[in-house]
Amino acid sequence: MVRKTAKSLAGLSALVLVLAACGRGDDQAGGQSAADISQGPATGTITVWAMGAEGEKLPALAKEFEDANSGVDVQVTAIPWDAAHNKFTSAITAGQAPDAAMVGSTWMGEFAGMNALDPTPSSIDKGAFFDGAQRTTEVDGTSYGIPWYVETRLIYYRKDLAKTAGYETPPKDWAGLKDMAKAMQTKAGAKFGIGLQAGGTGSWQSLLPFAWSNGAQLTKDNGGAYNFDSPEMKETLEYYGSYFSEGIADKEAPAQPTTEPDFVSGRVPMFISGPWMMSAVEKLGGEGFKDKYDVMPMPTKKTSSSFVGGSNFVVFKETKNRDSAWKFVKWLTEAKTQVKWYQQSTDLPSVKSAWQDPALTADTKLAPFGKQLDTAQSPPTFATWEQAITALDTEVEKVARSGADPAGALKAAQSSADSIGTGK
Amino acid sequence: MSSPVAVRRRGAERAAWFLILPFCLLFLVFTAWPVVQSLFMSFTDTRNRDLRTPFAVEFVGLENFLKAFADPIFRTAAVNTAYFVLVGVPLTLAIALAAAVVLDKGINRFRAFFRLGFYTPVITSIVAVAVVWRFLLQDEFGLINTVLGWVGIDGPNWLGDPDWSMPALILMAAWRNFGTAMIIFLAGLQAVPASLHEAASIDGAGAFSRFRHITLPLLRPTILFVSVTTAIGYLQFFEEPYVMTNGGPLNSTISASMYAYRQFGFGNYGYASAMSYLIFVVIAVVTALQFRLLRERG
Repeated sequence: MVRKTAKSLAGLSALVLVLAACGRGDDQAGGQSAADISQGPATGTITVWAMGAEGEKLPALAKEFEDANSGVDVQVTAIPWDAAHNKFTSAITAGQAPDAAMVGSTWMGEFAGMNALDPTPSSIDKGAFFDGAQRTTEVDGTSYGIPWYVETRLIYYRKDLAKTAGYETPPKDWAGLKDMAKAMQTKAGAKFGIGLQAGGTGSWQSLLPFAWSNGAQLTKDNGGAYNFDSPEMKETLEYYGSYFSEGIADKEAPAQPTTEPDFVSGRVPMFISGPWMMSAVEKLGGEGFKDKYDVMPMPTKKTSSSFVGGSNFVVFKETKNRDSAWKFVKWLTEAKTQVKWYQQSTDLPSVKSAWQDPALTADTKLAPFGKQLDTAQSPPTFATWEQAITALDTEVEKVARSGADPAGALKAAQSSADSIGTGK
Repeated sequence: MSSPVAVRRRGAERAAWFLILPFCLLFLVFTAWPVVQSLFMSFTDTRNRDLRTPFAVEFVGLENFLKAFADPIFRTAAVNTAYFVLVGVPLTLAIALAAAVVLDKGINRFRAFFRLGFYTPVITSIVAVAVVWRFLLQDEFGLINTVLGWVGIDGPNWLGDPDWSMPALILMAAWRNFGTAMIIFLAGLQAVPASLHEAASIDGAGAFSRFRHITLPLLRPTILFVSVTTAIGYLQFFEEPYVMTNGGPLNSTISASMYAYRQFGFGNYGYASAMSYLIFVVIAVVTALQFRLLRERG
């Protein structure tokens, strides 16, 4: 109920007041140059926030950093994902942000826009990361923080059912994927050929890989405006929407999809998702399920591209222990640490060289993710991205569920994005 | 010269003020001031500015309010909220009254058990409730559609179909909230003098006509209270769509307060405050109307 809103309002107003009294120095962001970090081991206390499973598993990793730097104490606070965004914005507003934190890659523009982030020191090699991931840290040409781990989306498919449907090897292009999805229905007994999100929060994450594969650019005017109604986007949304209008994907899919059981039972033998789904479906599928499915790259239209997501690690501007905080973050980017973190969390390394490690090369299903990461793209780091994309999600939903005209839907999403602006 | 009694009374008064002081302070700081602050905010544009300079605000007058009226999603949200209130409040009250009557007269054994059972949903966490209801409302294997299937009805895809999502949430809200109203109705029913019923039965009035002509009129103040509090709660419709559908499908369940909350999350504090005040005004008007319609006429 509104009580919740009232409470957050109350909290924030109080914070705003407290802050006004603090009167912090206000140097302007934009084209910032970063001071380097000092030599020697890290010292003092660093407070770190991390979300979800990462928040729970990070203390064990941080322990190793403490062992290597005897004078440092890393205090990790685990935050639930649901509350994280609001918690960060109010903490930044109140001047109560931690020294360093994991942040969602799509929040960078917003936080940098609030002048809350410390630019990445030059001693961190920005070329070590996957290009698409590194770009998520850059706002107006300045890099704030590092890509900590990455994820990208591939198409999961049931190998055994594909065989029944007449596919020994997966298709490579748009038309081929749709034919395969249809064949899954007609020849392999699937209820729906592929599970696609029929709109709602985050459906852009299934749409954009197709859009990028079709060469769509999400910004125009040199990054000065959103670009949702390009011909490439229109073609993509027509293609995406046709899965629903032709009954290949479920237009009445609930907000909480039952992807894993549907995949295991063969009801919906294909879906698009990230690497974490491997353990999820194998756990549910039980013994031997590992051999019944595989992953394939996003099908090609002009190219094959997917979404690069994941989380970044940042240091907040107002930290009292800047050098040690950056030393910790830098340590997180070392290939050795990244592999160790992969083994503890199954989060994929953002550092390219970590993918040479046998721990990753041994898994044949993992390699395609690494390959897809080379071409994967990230959304623009506009401060208003989350807001603009909510409008696009709604329009995608209209196309998927009620067969609205894709061109009109994109026009509506564009005019909504134009009225929201890029936040500059 | 004050009498010893007056002195004692003054002392007691001072102690009373002292005891409620913590509450007053908390109320002023965390409730009253934010209410004022958000009214102030509703006339400003809070986008595109560094939040750490709170007094560098841009006044925009009524722009946020006008924007809300022109915003198609806010209009959808307002219609959804009205739908929820107009169907949800009478339904909840009807179930509550029926349950109260049954508990008051019908069932002698296990009364405490049923009272507890009917009230439990009220105090259960909405998240736990949401998980259970998601199973119940599930399209193909959900209990509700399974039961409907037994009597030959092909149940809808409750949460996936924009036409059925709101009825599903209303059903859930009524189930979850009727306990509060029921408890108050029970108290009201027990205050109805048994002698009136006895006299009426001697005159030959049946159960229904006794209910219609004795119980209902005497319950009028109770009905007013319950309908006002339920309507205020339902006008702030938030938790059910927030946890069950996130406003979807196709914005069919987005509510006014949920949309305001969403805009708040985007940092559009001014716009969110303006919408919250619009909701406040509507609640005030609806409450006034209810008082006018249901007040005991002297």
